[in-house]
Amino acid sequence: MIDRLTRQVSFFAPAAVMSAWGTVMLHTITSGHINRLLNPMFRSYVLIAAILLFLLSVLHLMLYQPNATSVETRPFTRRLRPIGRWLVLLLPVVAASILSPSALSSTTLANRTALSSTYGVTPMPTMSDTSNRNVQTELAADPNQPVPMEVTDLITVSHSSDQIKAFDGRQVRTVGFFVAQPGQPPKLVRWLMWCCAADAQPVSVELGGNLSGDWKDTQWLEVIGTAEFPSTLGHVIPRINVTSIKPTQEPDEPYLSP
Amino acid sequence: MFIAAFDLPTGPASAGISWPDVALSFFAIVLEGAPFLLLGAIISGLVDVFLPAGLIKDWLPRSKAKGVFAALGAGLIFPLCECGAMPIVQRLIRKGVPPAVATTYMLAAPALNPLALFSTYLAFRNQDPWLMVVLRFGFSLAVLIFLGFWLIRLRPDQMLRAETLLGSTTKSAELSANPGLVLTPRPGMSFGGLQQFTGAVIRDFTGVLLFLVIGAAAAALFSTGFNRNLLAPIGQNLFLGPLAGILLAQLLCLCSTTDAFIIAAFTPFSIPAKIAFLVAGPLIDLKLYWLYRSAFQPRFVHGLWLRALAATFILTLLYSFKP
Repeated sequence: MIDRLTRQVSFFAPAAVMSAWGTVMLHTITSGHINRLLNPMFRSYVLIAAILLFLLSVLHLMLYQPNATSVETRPFTRRLRPIGRWLVLLLPVVAASILSPSALSSTTLANRTALSSTYGVTPMPTMSDTSNRNVQTELAADPNQPVPMEVTDLITVSHSSDQIKAFDGRQVRTVGFFVAQPGQPPKLVRWLMWCCAADAQPVSVELGGNLSGDWKDTQWLEVIGTAEFPSTLGHVIPRINVTSIKPTQEPDEPYLSP
Repeated sequence: MFIAAFDLPTGPASAGISWPDVALSFFAIVLEGAPFLLLGAIISGLVDVFLPAGLIKDWLPRSKAKGVFAALGAGLIFPLCECGAMPIVQRLIRKGVPPAVATTYMLAAPALNPLALFSTYLAFRNQDPWLMVVLRFGFSLAVLIFLGFWLIRLRPDQMLRAETLLGSTTKSAELSANPGLVLTPRPGMSFGGLQQFTGAVIRDFTGVLLFLVIGAAAAALFSTGFNRNLLAPIGQNLFLGPLAGILLAQLLCLCSTTDAFIIAAFTPFSIPAKIAFLVAGPLIDLKLYWLYRSAFQPRFVHGLWLRALAATFILTLLYSFKP
């Protein structure tokens, strides 16, 4: 009886596990949760993988059959081991898809901030072709209106003295989440994601000026103010001298991708 | 170079662990890795069906030493990421490629990958890109040659798990590449190799996926819970800097095409520390340790780990002390 059951389980397990992975992948894509997990480049790969996994499950059921005769001579506990392996394949990924939150917390932010005070000071590795193009468009924008700029664009500007000259004192509008660490100026932060959420790094600009309001850590804000590029110890730190600040929705793409 | 002096961390060493974030990171790593693993399994399945066992063996040079260099060259020409390489390498071994040669290719493909070198150039664009690219490539190559010549002295049974050695040539489930997976073909449904192909893909994908899941859990835990500032104070130290770089690579478990961007922004590290990070990471880390365990004996993987890190450390230390 048990023997027959384990034979049935070991026949259906591969198809069940592969379909479960396919379902989790599809659900992650359709729910939009994938925007919080992977760089856009990798998202279509997940979709293709999901389809292939469903196809493989069907092929498995079509082309293979349950083992008819028992060849089991192993003790009962050793026979359960294969089932344990299938559960390791099944349970963690399903649990993670249910339990994973919509955003990384400020705890992880603190762990992943390598010397927060110098962020944006160091040559920040934006694969800055995109960011450079953004900056060119932003330079050409109407100077009487606040220019919409990403945190990374402001950091890109801070690397070039010509662009600093062009942007210094311009009105900019930037979206990010609020972080105030003790002993440091408040910051507007975005996660920069290279491949996936596990390698996301925080990047930030400093906020000065009128910050009136009770802003919580990691609350999403839209900030309008004057772009400034003060230099400390020979390093330029981009800062927004805020004139208007208000809560806003989390963007559809919460991470910036280089 | 002296910036670190102004910025030693003042806060607590670790901000703690956010378990939901560990789940998020774990989920992201497996979703990123699984499609590449599946691609690797599909290529492996195609190799299984279409490539006659003796063919690659005939292409390869007779001498093992030349085989190692051929594997290094293949690593440059046929780039593969860490997850995708695993099933293919196991298949190549079962098709008769000497384990030392196949293993050298497995180690070389992510490290010497032209994409990895290009992303290194981009990441260090503002810092001294050519120096970083040349050092990364040169040191990786040196470590790989050292490892390759260690590998050719080992017997296959010292390296590989029994099931990798025997693989699909045996009918016994216990000895198959994926213990626990019993595939009984339906008679008359072979469809010109489709049955064999499907079986090989399922066997390879689910077999290595188990180790990706375990490795991703370890990687998610440390990349989320470990405070990077902990290593900052020793990152400029002549001796401890390279060690800090190696340790960080082991804990963060980044793909070789991404790691340069993360470390380029890590100001508290000296150049040797950054190079140590870039050379050691693609060879082995906590995630790769588990992936390698899918094909190799634990004792061998430990030996590989020790040698890869020691060689990286010695090279970067020599560079630290260069006149």
